Amino acid sequence: MDFSLNDEQREWQMKARKFAREEVRPISLQRDAIEDPRETFDWDIIRKGSKLGFRTLAVPKEWGGQGTDFVTQALVMTELAKADSAISKSFSQCWKWSHLIAASCSDEQKERFLRPFLADDTFVLGKGISEHSAGSDNRLPPADDPKAGLKLRAERRGDEWILNGEKAFIANGNIGKLFFIDARTDPNAPLKQGTTMFLVPRDTPGFRTGKVFNKSGWRFYQNGEMIFENARVPHANVVGEVNGAVRKSGGAGGDTTGGDLFGDLELAANALGICDDACEVALQHARSAKQGGKVLFEQQLIQLKLNRMHMLTEALRSFVMRIAWEHDRRIHSPNAGLAMNFSTDVVQEVAEIYMDVRGGAGCAMDAHADKLARDSIIWSHLAGDTVQRLKVAGRLRG
Amino acid sequence: MFNLHLSPEQLEIRDTVRDFVAREVKPVALAPARLEAFEKPLLAELLAQASRLGLRTLALSEAAGGAGADNLTCCIVTEELAVGDPDIAAVLAQTAMLGRLFERLMPLAQRNRFLPEFLGDDRYHLAFAEREPGSETALGAHYHRPAVMGLGFRTSAVRAGDKWIINGAKECVANAPVAKLFAVQASTAGGVSTLLVPRDTAGLSARAQEGHWFHGSYGEVAFENCRVPVDSLLGVEGRSPLAEGPDAKGRGSPQFQALNLGIGRAAYEAALAYAHLRVQGGRRIVEHQAIGAKLAGIAIRLEVARAAVWRAAWASDHPEAIADRSLPDLPLQAIARVYTAEAMLEVAKDAAECFGAMGVMRDMPLQKYVQDARVCLHSGEGSADAKLRLAEILAGYRRPAKTGT
Repeated sequence: MDFSLNDEQREWQMKARKFAREEVRPISLQRDAIEDPRETFDWDIIRKGSKLGFRTLAVPKEWGGQGTDFVTQALVMTELAKADSAISKSFSQCWKWSHLIAASCSDEQKERFLRPFLADDTFVLGKGISEHSAGSDNRLPPADDPKAGLKLRAERRGDEWILNGEKAFIANGNIGKLFFIDARTDPNAPLKQGTTMFLVPRDTPGFRTGKVFNKSGWRFYQNGEMIFENARVPHANVVGEVNGAVRKSGGAGGDTTGGDLFGDLELAANALGICDDACEVALQHARSAKQGGKVLFEQQLIQLKLNRMHMLTEALRSFVMRIAWEHDRRIHSPNAGLAMNFSTDVVQEVAEIYMDVRGGAGCAMDAHADKLARDSIIWSHLAGDTVQRLKVAGRLRG
Repeated sequence: MFNLHLSPEQLEIRDTVRDFVAREVKPVALAPARLEAFEKPLLAELLAQASRLGLRTLALSEAAGGAGADNLTCCIVTEELAVGDPDIAAVLAQTAMLGRLFERLMPLAQRNRFLPEFLGDDRYHLAFAEREPGSETALGAHYHRPAVMGLGFRTSAVRAGDKWIINGAKECVANAPVAKLFAVQASTAGGVSTLLVPRDTAGLSARAQEGHWFHGSYGEVAFENCRVPVDSLLGVEGRSPLAEGPDAKGRGSPQFQALNLGIGRAAYEAALAYAHLRVQGGRRIVEHQAIGAKLAGIAIRLEVARAAVWRAAWASDHPEAIADRSLPDLPLQAIARVYTAEAMLEVAKDAAECFGAMGVMRDMPLQKYVQDARVCLHSGEGSADAKLRLAEILAGYRRPAKTGT
């Protein structure tokens, strides 16, 4: 067994650490404290990160991207998330769909869409699956209710498809320039047999954005509504086969719901960053803050809390790096899903203990501890914790 | 004899408050625009309305013009109010509790001086100003150590003729922004004394506390050559009757645990209702095992917590029950505090999870229930500290009482 990183991996890690410390961390609490959810996002940090390669990190080298491996991607996500989990996610969301483009799009589509994505520092990607009344149903389509799941409809008219319906909670929905949209192309077939994936550029006629969701955590990260009213998408933008959305990206190692190969690693690696942040600051605080003339660290209960935070964090790191290593070797197993489920438990417990260490008596709370606790709760919600666990159980069953 | 019947009066007041919360409080407190806003000003009109229902003077004796409610009744009312708005619940609970305490400690002359105005003004609240900036109240480093904690107060009161002159500063004072009468802990020649200071006294200034890490309305209070008449002492000079705090040694009324319970119950009621409506997986989500078990776990925690809170409340109403060995000689309020705070955060998180993505949206109440429960767990004494205090009591450790410097 060899746990060492190669030079390239190490270099990306250091580059991410520097960018995180110098650029991301200073704006983290500021952006979180902005009340209007449309104003929390900051293009400046995206531009700066993009110039360093963090937006296009997962695009293969032959197409002009950084072509990093999964180990590198995990390292970078963790470093960025240590400075701000939501900003890290804003970058890695682009990697997630870069993987999908690489795995599922034709060369002609890659030419049309990857080139402008690579050239423009403010070109971010998104994927529309969830709808107001279709969340869990897309992830775990019920066998006894074939019509359950997304309702957004696409109908063929000559060389075009006409899209009607709404998507909700879509990451980058209000700021992205290109989206993968899952639409029902056979309303009578179950989700898996009747859904088609389309590439939808932002300027598609008939498409507009709706509200931006106002979340309690991950405030920087934008989740929006997408509204399609007779939106016209050329047939050339169909990804893979008609009625083949789920099978297509399923073939790439996952499914269409974002809980794919990369998505599981992404959430686990991001959670690890929050844990690293909490551990580091908790330790500093315990070494410096005094109570009764003595540093906090001298108290047994503080030591036990620090022990538990670090124990959980290091266990998660082992799991995350193993998954990344397995992905690089194309070893596919339920482990990635299990790691993501585990990261939910770990990030929430570590954030709660961190708050406990920072808390103490009185009627105030450290703003950083408050932010980490709110961010950590996101893991139970945006991917649907119980549903994800059931889905992973399904993979275990085989 | 073991009897958990509520009296007809207790049942009636619970129904009245529940109805008031459903009809009047929730539509205002849970309006999406208010939920989304970072600043949530105290709902002063609803607070006055609640006062007209008698909830502000709930614990004052009937002879003094109040409702004469015992601690258990106060806890029932506080839980109901907190289901709608923990801030309203906290302000009323503090005023009601201090009202009874003041009435008990005030001699007739003071009662005649302060109580009529208190009774007649729906916006008249009470505050207890104890904590000082920079003061160390955490037990942690002092656990089982004879180190003397929080000795005396830097706020001082000096006798000058027929006046007391108060100088100093207080922080984290519950109800400070809305109080019209403060009981102030100050060092005097003979030790720690408690002085009654009306809000409009020259030299007293109060402002709202920064941040949002509390329920109710907290503030800082400053005293600059603040003069009050010599007969403003509550109790005897140098021997404050509130030296141990109003709920000394974890045996007081668990009203803030009742508030905490209300937050959990609100989350539970929302989740149960939603689980009946939301359809995923071809059926209402309440019919899925995963959601059903979650709801059951929530209900269990709520019932166990309520049992602990009511028992502590009843014990504080019946101290003789410890003497006659009906109840264990334990700080039941401290026990209820630790359990309730930890369990209600779990309750709120599980309830929010039933809502999927909507559980973290600021225009929905679930994320607020989680945050509100977290505030209960991590404010005031803190759970870890409460456990240490309990451990000291179990071990029979006796800490020297607070005295003046």
